Amino acid sequence: MVEIIVDGKKIKAREGNYLLRELKKNGFKIPALCDHLAVEPWGGCRLCLVKITKEDWKGWSKIVASCLYPVEDGLIVLTKDKEVEEARKEVLNLMVARSPQTPKVLELAKEYGIEKTSYEEYKEPTDCILCGLCTRICDQLGMSAISLVGRGIGREVAPPFNLEPPDCIGCLSCAYICPTNFIKFEENEKKRKIWGKEFEKLLCKNCGCGIVTKAEAEYFSKKQGIDPTVFELCDKCKREIYSKKFEELQK
Amino acid sequence: MELVYKIIEKYPKEEASLIQILQDINRTYNWLPKESLEIVSKEINVPLARIYGVASFYKAFSLKERGKNIIKVCTGTACHIKGAPQLIDEIKRKKNIKPGETSKDKKFTLETVNCVGACAMAPVLILNEKYHGFTKPSDIEKILEEGK
Amino acid sequence: MKKLKSLKELSDLRKKLEKDYNNKKEIFVCCGTGCRANNSLKIAEELEKILKENKKEIPVIRYLKKTGCHGFCERGPLVIFMPEEIFYCKVKEKDIQEIYEKTVLKNEVVSRLLYKEPREKKEIEKYKEIPFYKNQYRIAMRNIGKVDPFSIEDSIAKGAYLGLEAALKMKPEEIIEEIKKSGLRGRGGAGFLTWRKWEAARKEKSDVKYIICNGDEGDPGAFKDRSIMEGDPHSVIEGMIIASYAIGAKEGYIYVRDEYPLAVETLKKAIEDCRSLGILGKNILGTSHSFDIKISRGGGAFVCGESSALIRSVMGKVGEPRAKYIHATEKGLYDKPTVLNNVETLSDVGAIILKGGNWFASFGTEKSKGTKCFSLVGKVKNTGLIELPMGTTLRQIIYDIGGGIVKDKKFKAVQTGGPSGGCVPEALLDLPVDYEKLTEAGSMMGSGGMIVMDERTCMVDVARYFLKFLLEESCGKCTPCREGLRQLMAIYEKIVKGEGKEEDLDKIKKLSSAMKIASLCDLGRSAPNPVLSTLKYFEEEYIAHIKDKFCPAGVCSDLVIYEILQTCNGCGACRRICPVSAIVGKQKEIHKIIEEKCISCGSCYDVCPINVIIYKKKELKNG
Repeated sequence: MVEIIVDGKKIKAREGNYLLRELKKNGFKIPALCDHLAVEPWGGCRLCLVKITKEDWKGWSKIVASCLYPVEDGLIVLTKDKEVEEARKEVLNLMVARSPQTPKVLELAKEYGIEKTSYEEYKEPTDCILCGLCTRICDQLGMSAISLVGRGIGREVAPPFNLEPPDCIGCLSCAYICPTNFIKFEENEKKRKIWGKEFEKLLCKNCGCGIVTKAEAEYFSKKQGIDPTVFELCDKCKREIYSKKFEELQK
Repeated sequence: MELVYKIIEKYPKEEASLIQILQDINRTYNWLPKESLEIVSKEINVPLARIYGVASFYKAFSLKERGKNIIKVCTGTACHIKGAPQLIDEIKRKKNIKPGETSKDKKFTLETVNCVGACAMAPVLILNEKYHGFTKPSDIEKILEEGK
Repeated sequence: MKKLKSLKELSDLRKKLEKDYNNKKEIFVCCGTGCRANNSLKIAEELEKILKENKKEIPVIRYLKKTGCHGFCERGPLVIFMPEEIFYCKVKEKDIQEIYEKTVLKNEVVSRLLYKEPREKKEIEKYKEIPFYKNQYRIAMRNIGKVDPFSIEDSIAKGAYLGLEAALKMKPEEIIEEIKKSGLRGRGGAGFLTWRKWEAARKEKSDVKYIICNGDEGDPGAFKDRSIMEGDPHSVIEGMIIASYAIGAKEGYIYVRDEYPLAVETLKKAIEDCRSLGILGKNILGTSHSFDIKISRGGGAFVCGESSALIRSVMGKVGEPRAKYIHATEKGLYDKPTVLNNVETLSDVGAIILKGGNWFASFGTEKSKGTKCFSLVGKVKNTGLIELPMGTTLRQIIYDIGGGIVKDKKFKAVQTGGPSGGCVPEALLDLPVDYEKLTEAGSMMGSGGMIVMDERTCMVDVARYFLKFLLEESCGKCTPCREGLRQLMAIYEKIVKGEGKEEDLDKIKKLSSAMKIASLCDLGRSAPNPVLSTLKYFEEEYIAHIKDKFCPAGVCSDLVIYEILQTCNGCGACRRICPVSAIVGKQKEIHKIIEEKCISCGSCYDVCPINVIIYKKKELKNG
């Protein structure tokens, strides 16, 4: 553990750890839409900017993305510096121009005094802020079913050829990690549909409820060597049956 | 699609070979057909979505079928100030295609390139890998006749 | 080719090749991509044919050599007789017979093909006396135009790998010390001290390290790297081997952008030949150092000139940059210590090790040592590729070497540093060119592209052009660059259509400031440079577009209309050049522009020999 100074306050932090995570642990509020504990940081949204300096830098400072910056001994961090706040405001301003109807974005922008964008609103607004969380979690879990397609302003999250993604197993991680609820899915007892692909669920042998999709079960069995019979019962029924068995054994 | 397998054989079967493989496929078929990418995915063991992400990111690749003749107008700075926009306009007038489009008879596709490094001969037009320097709008008709 | 097993064997081979290849009577034909665009390959082939067919008649054998770029692209195709140095320009196929009959057979000069100095209208026979060449000093480009880039034998005979021979006798620390003495800074744009990069990588403890040559050269207007890779691939390879020896790397990559197919060919052949001779591979020239090079082709993305994006591209991934809080010299390609150097930087290395760091440092300015390659293009008379000591002024480059502005129009600005750079106005023409001075002026050195602009260039349009370029090339990862460029573009589109508002200038400045701070990589951080530099030096033009709804340069077609004055003499030059046939008139009668058809391109204005075409403000329909 090393000592760093944040907004004048002395903090102990783990050396080499990502600065943002240490700041958040210590109660500092820093917006960061493309950061999530489940994946490695990416540095795409640029909201988590902070100003850093060190005593031996002789007054020189730089503005960095705290989600990626590694903690160093003697780091001096300013989260509310004027330059940083101005930049953060402009980034939010740009985001609102792209997503003027997205609650999460508008909420955050309002905290920084932005109700409406001063730039040209998109003629076709979108909830997607291109934070990349969905593709990153999909890569991490090993499926890589969707990706960031295209370049620059035309970029979007999509399955290959905009058709049903062949590698998707319907786990819904992308939908859950999405900060703006852009990724939509449909779900009922027996089926799940996401990215235009339909999945059949495995049904509990006991109560008949849907557990995971067949594709998920196959994937986990193959990749992690899990016995496929693990998915024959839903958690509730498993607990009931095993606790009954346990009771019997005790008698 | 057997040519695709032949192309893949030339390189080590790993992700690092992806861009070179795609370039050879693009050169052979004039674009990247969906089937070719599916084959590459299986052969070098890289998820299809990642390959599609790479194919859609780089300008060298076309995910749409292209015409028999590829017209590339350089839109580098030197070419721009020496009249590249007028060349593009002239091609639009003669073949009714804008950059990125293919003519209805599938004979010509127009693309722009962000600098081919022949800036001293600006403006530069490339027809099927043949370079033309100091191109004027009045040269367009003759140059296009050299096409297949 | 037999594998060389020691430095002495290389030295012996060189002595033999010097006898075979040097001191011959030769004819150089420039076959770089630029001259090829002007049909030079055909010229070379025809000349070769005529020499072959008439072998018996020729008194002294002349060897035809297809070389790389000579640099004087404006005057291509170029045919040069050596050792006489007879320099023929703008050679056409129909001239070949006369060249053969006069120069090859009788050693006589064909005067009409010689270079004519524009100011004194004098013909200059010898290569080295032409002002374009006289004022240059070539280090990185030392052998381009002299060697056959496809022949390692010719390259060795002309001095290739002399630097390597010297380097392999030194210790890695001594090599880095020499580079330090030379003051060599990265020639790709950033200008980072090369020795520092090498030293940082050398210190890392890893048995796998990489050297990557950045041949992406994305700056539009720059083609020095193309010319070096096409014209003298061995100078690049030599630099890489020396670098690999200095830092302890066994593997290297040359990243060539997709748009340079000829460079890929020359480099491939050069690498194969090096392997055959034992200059690349295991135990180079019998020493304990092993190193080999692979070529990695780019996919067509300007952002891949950025080092972290380039590294991702080498790995076959999408070229997205990453935050550089951990340097590539620590964790680069495949998370191993990596040194990334520009083509020109590596080309300088061999010469520096051979002649010493102090020799290189004897050129240039206090903080920018050595020479630099520039591609001089745009509205200048002598467009082409040049190499000069740092500290040469812009005026010397544009007027003494460049010959001044085409048609002697008025100089307006010179754009340097590509899309990350800015425009330097007339007031700063005496600026000595070096890294610091250009940055102070609001521009930057970049790759060395110098695009000269005259009074017929609209600076608002130039800024808009760069925004469009960057908008297409932005990777799209971070919000400020992707969205910021889009919004800047939207503001500019309005301005050039006559819909600009006064507050637009403040909006532009505010957004530019945010992009400079918040963007992830240098593409986004430097994207506002063309915008801010044109605003700084040409604010009146912006105000004219916004307040007066007029384009003073006559370029923005929505804001100007062209008119032929009554003093027209009916020569018809305008009528013939108009791309939309919007000009009517009979020979010797006053011509007229049909307003509905006119696209305001200004071609007529530029071609009129008596300047009777004018442009004025277009009355906008919405008043």
